[in-house]
Parts: sequence; C-alpha cells; structure tokens
Amino acid sequence: MEKLTQEIRKTAKEILEKGQANVVIGWEKGSAWYISTPVFIDKAEDVERLVWDEYCVNNLAKYLLDYKTVEGKVAIFVKGCDARGVNRLIQDKQVDREKVLIVGLSCPGMKDEKKAKELGKNAEIPLVKKCQECRYPEPIIFDIFLGEKGKKEPAKGKDFSDIKAIEKMSSDEKYDFFSENYDRCLRCYACRNVCPACSCRECIFDQSKSGWLGKANNASNNMFFGITRALHVAGRCIECGECERVCPVNIPIMLLNKKIIQDIDTLFGDYDAGLDPEGKLPLGGFEYSDPEEFM
Amino acid sequence: MSINEVPQNWEPKILVFACNWCTYAGADLTGLGRLQYPPNIRILKVPCSGRVNPQFVVKAFQRGIDGVLVAGCHPGDCHYSTGNYFTRRRFLIMNRMMEYIGIEPQRMQNKWISAAEAPKFQQVITEVTEEIRALGPNRKLRDDQWKN
Repeated sequence: MEKLTQEIRKTAKEILEKGQANVVIGWEKGSAWYISTPVFIDKAEDVERLVWDEYCVNNLAKYLLDYKTVEGKVAIFVKGCDARGVNRLIQDKQVDREKVLIVGLSCPGMKDEKKAKELGKNAEIPLVKKCQECRYPEPIIFDIFLGEKGKKEPAKGKDFSDIKAIEKMSSDEKYDFFSENYDRCLRCYACRNVCPACSCRECIFDQSKSGWLGKANNASNNMFFGITRALHVAGRCIECGECERVCPVNIPIMLLNKKIIQDIDTLFGDYDAGLDPEGKLPLGGFEYSDPEEFM
Repeated sequence: MSINEVPQNWEPKILVFACNWCTYAGADLTGLGRLQYPPNIRILKVPCSGRVNPQFVVKAFQRGIDGVLVAGCHPGDCHYSTGNYFTRRRFLIMNRMMEYIGIEPQRMQNKWISAAEAPKFQQVITEVTEEIRALGPNRKLRDDQWKN
C-alpha cells in the first residue's frame, strides 16, 4: 500500500502540473490511525497529503456534485464501489463524464474503523461488512489504473441471509425490530448526504412546507423517512453501505436497501446498479411480462 | 381504557385509490346496479393508478387508515397506455417492503378492476373489509400508538 501511495502522489502531481484537472479528490490521514478522510488537493505541492491505506473507506463519488457547476475537470481516485457511485451519477445525468478524470485503484478491501477503535492497533481487524460481500473490488470505469488487479477475491453471489432472517419473523416482531431501530433516528440526514444515489436538486425531506414529513421526531415520522428514502433509491442503490457507516446511531439502513435489491432480482431479473451508465433503471420502466399478482 | 383495546363500535377505515377511467367508473356502476358493499371505504379518485406515490400509502397509515387498496385498469387497458405497468412494478416492490417492515400484507393491497366489473368491485371491497376487520385497528406507523 506504501508503494501505491507513492504512485498516487506521483499521478496526482502530474495531473495537477499538466493541468489535466483543477482539483484531485483523494484521501488523507485523519485525526487517528484508523481514520482516513477525504481531501481536495488543488496545488501540486500539497500532493504529499494523499494516502492510500486500509481505512480509505469513504466513497468519494458524491463529492463530484460539489464541482458540478465549477469550470474545468475534476480528478477522482476510486475503489470498486466508488466507481459504481461515479457511474451512478453519470447515469442520473448529474455528472458529465467528460468533466471527470477517474483514477482507478485496485482495492484489497477496507478495514472496519469502528472495530479498529475498539480492538486497538495490534489486533487483527476485520474487513468492513460491505467489503466482505463485495463483488466488484476492481473499478469498472476508469481513465488511469494504478496497482495490480486481483488483490481481492470477489464474492460469488449476493448474500441475503440477514434479509431472509427478518422475513421469517412475525409481522409484530418485524415492526418491533424496525420501529426500535428508527426510534433512535436523529434525522440528521447524513445517510442522504453521503448517498451517491441521492442527487435530487431539492430533496423531499428539505421541503418542510410540503407537509410530507412532519417535524416531530418520533418513530412514525422516522419510519416514513426510512421507507421513503429506501424507495427513492430503489433500483439505484450500489450497496456501498455508506449510509450505514455514517449513521451516528447505527441504524441498519442497508437491511431496507438490500431487501429491495433482493426483490428486484427475484421479480424483474438480476440487476446491479451502477455498472452501465447508459442502462435503463428497473423502476424507470416495465416489461409486459412482469409478474402479475393484482388480478 | 388502554389504547390497544379495540373499541366496541370500531369499524375499519379503508382508503381506496381508484383510477378515474376504470375503477372509479366501476364503483359508479356498482352503485347504479344497487350492489351492496360495506360503507367502510373512502374512495380517492386519481387520474391513473400510476399517480399513486408509495408515500401516499405510508402517509395514510400515519394518519390512521387501517387498510389501503390501490385499484386501476387491467394491464393493457390503461387510458394512458402504460401507466398501470409502472404501478405494477412499483407496488410489487412496495407491497413486499411494507410486509417486510411489519405491516400485515392484507392492509396493503392492489387489484385491477375495470369499468364493467361492478360485481368484482363489490366482491373485492367486501373481502378487503372483512380481512381488515379480522385484523383489528392498525397501530403501526402511527404516532405513539404502538405499544403504549
């Protein structure tokens, strides 16, 4: 990883010096050894701040939106999941492919920062859950590729065992489980802000006068928020798990997203979001041969 | 009286989203034909079943509805050609989602009812009402009504 960090710095320096992009988005070392935070470099002399280690878990794709109206190109370092996030934004016509210089990195899987904090520096730290289940560790879209491919064995299929476990519960148990989780929700909207599938110019939850989402913070409104958000990203969720990672109260948000992914797969055929920037979205269209249950 | 007790004279409240061209006309025909159906439904006319946003349903449960029925034209009969195909995809996902978070599947139903199917409208409304009457009042998704 040390070697790749040097390569990243060299590439970033070249990009900025040659003027291929005005800004480079990457990771720098954060306030602790288990934190690597996003960094935005616009001067060639600052490239030494860039790092690549086991904690570069942040999905950088969403930051491209901050440069949507800025002149010039943006260079971005991407892992496998970030690349799907960039594809996602291109597919939603949020980002112009011509304006982005994508530098792909071979991802060995990222380690869990919360576990690292608990276990300490010398312990064996497990991979983040999304990396254990990752099926696309290599970026699927890039202009420049750094590192060697095949650092991580991709998972074979999608793992829906946690969804199946919930489906087996009774209605009341299910509702207890979700309402207890959503009771904790602060409605900080961090999950929305970090999500590469959430790119509406004005989010429904910001339209406070529309009356959709009540201001009172209770389980009912919080669940309205949770269900609505899951349905809004239905068919577009790239399973990067960022929503769950940023949640300050540890709500298992991916349980809702993965349920929808599972249903789309079984009802309308296997679909992976963010692979094809030109493709049609599962809920943006229909087939005459869709399952008929409403007769 | 605890809020979880079912009041003696409780009657289910059911919201029916009816498409303007088929189901609403079907409901009209049911009335014209003097076919009796339970008075527990509130019909909300929408231009097309594709107009029904899944959030309408969640909002209805929040505001105290016991069951929701989304009804529209049969596939292929949509006044706007393809509106109900979108409804079908959307609600195949939505119904499973509501079941997954703990709403009983009987409370969230979809049916295709054409303008000529007055007996079907009568039958569907009767069935849905009886199913929800058996389940009792809905407390889920409502403010402070669950386990209080």
